[in-house]
Formats: sequence, C-alpha cells, structure tokens
Amino acid sequence: MTLQLGEKHFSSAQPESAVRRIVTFKVGDRTFGIDVGMVREIKGWQATTPLPHAAPHVRGVLNLRGVILAVYDLRTSIGLGLTDATATHVIVVVDIEDKVAGLLVDSVSDIVDVPVSAVRPAPDLERDEHGLIEGLVLLDTDIVALLDLAAVIRDGGTEGAMAKAARAA
Amino acid sequence: MDPLAELKQTFFQECEELLGALEQKLQALDEGSTDPEDVNAAFRAIHSIKGGAGAFGCTELVAFAHVFEASLDHLRSGRVAIEDAPFSLFLRCSDAVADLVSAARNDEPALARPDLLEALERVGQAPKPAAAAPAAAPGPAKTEPAKTEAAKPAAARSAPAAADDAPPGIAALGNLLAMVEAKTGVTPARVDDGWDDEPAAVASAPADKPGRDLCLRISPESDLFRRVIEPRVVLGSLPAEDIVSVVCDLSQVPPLETLDVTDCHMRFVVTLRTELSVEDIYSRFDFTLAAEEFEIETLSPAAANDDAVSTEEAPARPEAEVSANVAADLSAILARLGPAPTSASEPDILPAAAPVAAPVQAVAEVAPAPSRAPAARAPANDAAAARQRQAVSVRVDLDRIDKLMNLVGEIVITQSMLVECVRSLPYDVHAKTAEGILTLSRQTRELQDHVMAVRAQPVKAVFQRMPRLVRELAQTLGKEVKLVLEGENTEVDKTIIEELADPLTHMIRNSMDHGLETPEDRIAAGKNPEGTIKLVAEHRAGRIVISVTDDGRGIGRDKLLAKAKSRGLVGQDEKLAPEEIDQLIFAAGLSTAEVISDVSGRGVGMDVVRRNVESLGGRISVDSEPGRGCKFTLALPLTLAVLEGMVIRCGDDRYVIPIASVIETQHLASTPIEHLTFGQEVLRWRGEVTPLHRLGAVMGSTGTPNENIIIIAETERGDNVGIAVDEIVGQQQVVVKSLEGNYGTVNGASAATILGDGLVALILDVDSMLRLAASSGRPSVPALKMAG
Repeated sequence: MTLQLGEKHFSSAQPESAVRRIVTFKVGDRTFGIDVGMVREIKGWQATTPLPHAAPHVRGVLNLRGVILAVYDLRTSIGLGLTDATATHVIVVVDIEDKVAGLLVDSVSDIVDVPVSAVRPAPDLERDEHGLIEGLVLLDTDIVALLDLAAVIRDGGTEGAMAKAARAA
Repeated sequence: MDPLAELKQTFFQECEELLGALEQKLQALDEGSTDPEDVNAAFRAIHSIKGGAGAFGCTELVAFAHVFEASLDHLRSGRVAIEDAPFSLFLRCSDAVADLVSAARNDEPALARPDLLEALERVGQAPKPAAAAPAAAPGPAKTEPAKTEAAKPAAARSAPAAADDAPPGIAALGNLLAMVEAKTGVTPARVDDGWDDEPAAVASAPADKPGRDLCLRISPESDLFRRVIEPRVVLGSLPAEDIVSVVCDLSQVPPLETLDVTDCHMRFVVTLRTELSVEDIYSRFDFTLAAEEFEIETLSPAAANDDAVSTEEAPARPEAEVSANVAADLSAILARLGPAPTSASEPDILPAAAPVAAPVQAVAEVAPAPSRAPAARAPANDAAAARQRQAVSVRVDLDRIDKLMNLVGEIVITQSMLVECVRSLPYDVHAKTAEGILTLSRQTRELQDHVMAVRAQPVKAVFQRMPRLVRELAQTLGKEVKLVLEGENTEVDKTIIEELADPLTHMIRNSMDHGLETPEDRIAAGKNPEGTIKLVAEHRAGRIVISVTDDGRGIGRDKLLAKAKSRGLVGQDEKLAPEEIDQLIFAAGLSTAEVISDVSGRGVGMDVVRRNVESLGGRISVDSEPGRGCKFTLALPLTLAVLEGMVIRCGDDRYVIPIASVIETQHLASTPIEHLTFGQEVLRWRGEVTPLHRLGAVMGSTGTPNENIIIIAETERGDNVGIAVDEIVGQQQVVVKSLEGNYGTVNGASAATILGDGLVALILDVDSMLRLAASSGRPSVPALKMAG
C-alpha cells in the first residue's frame, strides 16, 4: 500500500511540490537511502551460499520463498570491508532492472518524504569511482546518500569479477 | 490487456492449433488417405481460421482463407474427387495461411499470394466429368445443365469475399439483414430469388422433383454469431436446389434499444424436397449447429406447398404411398431420438414388415413441436454431452503452470526440511510424526509427478513444424523427399520441447542437404527417386530419444577425413576407425558440402547442435552406412525442471552434481595420486591417467576442505575427470532454479537448487568447472592412454 502511495506521489503532476519517499538505512555511521518503490521487503540476515570467484561485495545467494537471489554487501561496495553479518543485520530486498537482489546493511532507520527539489547532485569530492551515489539529501541530523542501485549490483556477475582478475593477472 | 486484445490472442493461439490440424490432415490426404473425415477436418480448420480472422478484421487472411475454403469445399461436396485433388498446392496454401496468420499477429503487412489464389480458383472450375458426375447428380431425374449449375455455388460464393474487404463481420451482418428483409413478407415460392449466391435455375424446386418433403426448424442459440457462424453458412450447407422455401421468424428479435447485434434472434423454417436422408442433414449441420438447435420433420408430399408454419399438423395425415425408404429414415430418426415413447410401436418401424401407416404414426408422436419437445430434446442433450466429453480440455496459461510447479518445488523443499526436523525429535514423538511425514512425502512426490504431467506436451508441437521445412527445402534443393513422423504423441516437459526445435531443424537440414541425393543420382544408384526422412520420437530409459534417419548416401568418410586433416583436426598420418570418422561431423568448422548453399554448409551446423544438446544434459550420436543412409540420434532428459543429483560437501559448502555426470566414486586414501608440474594432480583410473581436481580449491569453498572421496565424472567430450570432495551427503531429486534470472551466469555451476534446510546449493556443471579450473592457472592434463 505504502509503496504504491509513494509512487503516486512521485509521478504527481506538480513537480515543485513532488516528494520522494525514501527508505533510509545505516552502514556504520553512514546513512543511505533508496526510493521506497524499489523495496520489496526487509528481512533479517540469513546465511548465504557463496558463489565461486565472485566479486568481494557479492555475499552469495539465498532462497527467498523459492526465488534465488544474490545478496550484495553494501559495506564492501563503499570500501569499508566485509560485514561481519549477525542476526541483527538486515537484508533489504530490492527490485532492480527486472531482477530481485538483496542489499546487506547494518540496520534500517526510517522512511522519510523528501521534496524532489531538496535532492542535490553528489559532490565531486566524494571518492565515488563506481558512481554509487545518485544524489544527497540533507536531513536535520544526517546526510542521506541516495544510492544508484544498478551501480551497486554492477560487476556482481562472475563475468565482471573474472574480467577484473584477468586484468590484474 | 483489454478484452478484445485478449480474445485476439486466444484466436492466434487457436490458429496455431488449427494450422497444425490443417497441415496434418492435408498431409495425410496427400499421402493417399481418402477419408472424407480428413477433408472435413481440414475444411473446418480453415473455416474456423477464416471466421476468427473476419471477427478481428484480418482482411488478407479472410480473403485467402475464403478461397482456400471454397476449393476445399469442392472436395467435401465431391465435385472434385479426393484422389484428384492437388494436395501439394493445398499444403503450400496452408503454409501461406500460416504466414498470413503470423503477419496478422505481428501487425506486419501480409504477403499477397496471387499465384496460389489463382491456382486455388482453378480447383474445381473444370472438374473432370468422371469425377464430378456421380457426386454432383444426386437424383436420376437430374438433367445435364443442372449438373453444371451445381458446381457454381462455391465459385459464386467466392465473389462476395472480395466485397468483404470492409470489416467482414459488419459486412456479413449487413448481408444478413438484407437477406432477412428479402425473405420476410415474400411468398415462399419466390423466396429463393433473394439468395444472391444460389443459381436461379434451382430457385424453385420443380413440383415433380423426386424426394421427400422435410421441414427443418432451425432455432440457433443466441451466441451463433459469436461462434462465427452465420445463417447463410448454415443454410448454405443444404443443397440449394432442394430448398423449397425459407421463412425467417423474427418474432424473437427484441426492440432496437435493447438489441444486442451480436446475439442471434432469428429462427428459420426451411422446407426441403430432397433425397437426402435425415442422417445426411444431421451430418451437414454437424459442424455449424448443435443437435438441440434444429429439428427435422418429415412432411407428407401434399403438405410441401402449404405454409411452412402450418406444417405441424402435416405428419398427422397418414399417406398411403410412404415408401419403405422413408420408413428406414424414420427408424434412423427414432434411433437418434432414443427409445420410442411407446414400446409397442418399436417393432413396427422395421422397413420390411412395416404396415405403411405405422411409421407415420411414430413420427406424429415424436415430431409435433412444443408439447413433445422436451422428450425429444433429452437425447439431443445426451449427444451434446457426448460431444463435450470428447473435448474436455482447458486452456491454461503456461505461467500458471510454472507457478504451480514452483510451488510444488517449494513443498518438496519444505517437506524434506520437515524430515530433517523430525529426525532430531525424541523417539516417541518421532515415531508418530514419521508416519505422517512418510505419507506426506509420498503425496508430494505424486503431486510433483502430476504437475510435471500437466506441463508435459507431445513432441507434436515441434514435429508439426517439420513438414513445412522439408517441403520448402525440397523445393529449394530440387529433391524429392517424403517425411515420415513417428511417435508424435511422445510427451516431454515443455522445457525440453522449447529446446528441441533448433537441433531438429539443423538435423533435418543436414540430412536433406548432405544426406539425400538428387532424384537423378538416386535413380542412378537404383533407389526410389523420392528420398525418405524418418523422424521418430520415443521414451527410452527415462529419456526422450529422437532420431532422424535418411536413406541418402551416408557420410562421405573420405571427404570428411580429408577435410579434417586439412583443417588440422586430425593428424596427417592418423588412422581412424570408420565410426570415429563419422563422429567428426560434430567437429567445429567442418562442412563437406561442395557448394555453400543458404540451406546449410557454413560448417556451423552439427557442432552447434552437439553443444546445445549437451548443454541440456543430452547426447547426440550418428550412425552412417555409406550408400544406405545416415541416422542421427538425440537423447535428452525428460525435463529440465528437476534433476537427480548427488549432494556433496566440501568445506562448509554443499553442492549438487548431476547423477548423469557421475561414473563412480571411490576413497581418496586408496587411490594412488601423482603430482605433475604446477600442482596438477593425476590419478590412475581404469588404466588411464585422469586429471584430479579438488572441488574446494576450484569453487573457492569456505571452511577447510578435508577431501576423502573422489568422484569420477564424465565431461561432455566423454573424457573422465576426478573431483575430490569431503563427503557424499546423499542422493536426491532436486528442483532446478535458474541463477541467471536474478544474478547472472556462475562459472562452474549450471544452476542452483534449494536443499532441505532452505539453503541454496549450486548444481555443478563438470565442463564449466574444468574451464574454471583451467582459468585459475591450473593447466588441465588431457587424458592420456597408458601404454599397456
């Protein structure tokens, strides 16, 4: 229900008053956000099956009610190393480019409505060679970095990792 | 999707089935069948296509189908003898219809086929007198001119088709209204003048025309138009020269404001003077009307000229000259209507001993409408029920079956999870639960089998595309080919069906291009100029085996070997057994055709086929006998949805290796292992040096591997390889889940499955695993033959 409401807001006719409804979550002390419409569900950490020679941020695959999906470690993607996943960690299941993927984060914080006009482009000083950050939103307490999910799961497939390994060799 | 688009979709789906049926029937006829039912079935198929196409405004399709239908009608009516009919032309026309359907489906401009149309128009235009005479002249009183008239209606009927190019449904309705106006309020004797497509010569039946008078009451259900049948078609199935009068009863038509033009409210009363038996009339309506939609009454000759509506009383008047012939027909009616109301009258119907009045009495008891109607209807309903029983099938979206299959897969997983849970329970609880779990397992397995059976489709779906391919290729290559299909009803899972078309196409192309000789060469070789390709499907040992056999020249071994040598695939001095040479046909980049045609010959054929087949877990092989022919055999698993697998563990991870790949297992400790350079290990197995790979290292398993077991597995090329693993956990049927859907390809694995504890395990693909091992810097050693 909420998801659909969010999408309606997004496509409403008055752009200046349009809001984006954003799910925010934490990795370490950093706050990230994605559009609520992309979130399919949020579930606790469950063990994954590692994939051979996958990129480091690919934690492996898990079974979500019969659907097999890959889980990506956001902490690794942003260069902070592997998450030592425990039962308190959270997998955000997202729909992205016809695929279902899981995003491993520390915790989910909030759902906020942000006016579209309040989203600023990511500044260049951010060392973001992969283009993970789509924009920034200033909240009272935090800076929320809006993720470009396609970029987060890019290079996930073995092909990409193998190509990298080949280049390194 | 809006309802119309949905309907249209259904129509196209039906078209595919109808086209299949059409082609199949025509093929049977072409091969010498003279069964009129085949002609009728073909006619019905094209008629249904035409009807649907009209409803959806596919004008080109309607126009073509119409002409096609008309020429098939010549066969149906016997104006053209089945033996003389040009079935090869009809087959090409059915291909053209298929093209038109797919053009309409994809909203592409349709290709007009004036050549075919013209050829079709010629069919039956100049019927051979010998063939036409007996069929077209039903009565001895018929004169010669009447015969030629009889041939006309179908030809004349094709004329309105050209006028139909505005939306055909509407046009048909317009025609109909005009007809109805013409009919009503006109005296029965003049009525026939209103028929635009009936020869005027037979408009009014001569009073002294032989035959019996019948009264037909046609009360179609209101959905007549939606079944794409128009009254003209219904009435057109009666011989025009036999119709005495047609009266349309419009009393059921509602006022304009509540009129739904898609409902049929018309009732017809037709008086006939005909020599057709009641049975004949039943069979003529069989295809347009349900049995309960019409009634047939026999009138006394005197009543024929009375107002048709008043004929109800007619049968009550006994007539002296009722012939034994009529009595026979009456017994037929009564047989159809079920047991006669009074058992006493039953013996009297026998034509031989019949007192003349008795049969008429019987009619009087059965026929007079409304009061007796329910009694007469009951058997008719039985007939309708019987018809329904014949076709109890439901059209189900494949998506839904897939979901069902997924769900069953889930249940299988949950159930094996339960089994594991129960094991850890204390004994007394365990014993009670175990029984229930056992029953559940059995039922789940059964459920899975049934769902798999629902998904199963006969290979016909693929086979029926092949005759067209063969026809077209035969024309391109100038060869005469007969295609024989066997085992079309062999069922396989739809996942396999989808994968069959390509390999089969390639194999048939190969046989036609390289295998079969030209007619001249065949005659020179003392063979039948017409080559034969046999396509056979059968179940064997839990697999589907499909073979393509031709009686051509076989594989040219010398040429093939020379080519392989020149390409460096075989050493110059190497000696190969004939069978080994034959297998070279699957090697990449080999084609022996001297002329590269657009049919085959680019050398990408059979090696691609082999690779595709093997990636599905299948095998392909070839047997050839020089001068006698060549046989390709394709063996595939029955499904790609489930797989019998061995669950193995390595470190902390579990994997599934398809049982089909496993040759044997043995203890690592008892196997002598030798080390080559770069850490490559080999073992001796059945006198061969077999490379050994440690699964944990290749797949990057987590935890510390402690290998105890060696699995000897077979690669696609038939080489053997040893895979060292920690433990064999068990053997079970696993549900195959794609990794590509939400992730991408995973090297070393073909797919994944979900084990009893809900965790994902990768399904290993031996060949892909070996490539992975090779790319991680470990050179793999080809299997060497040990000396001695």
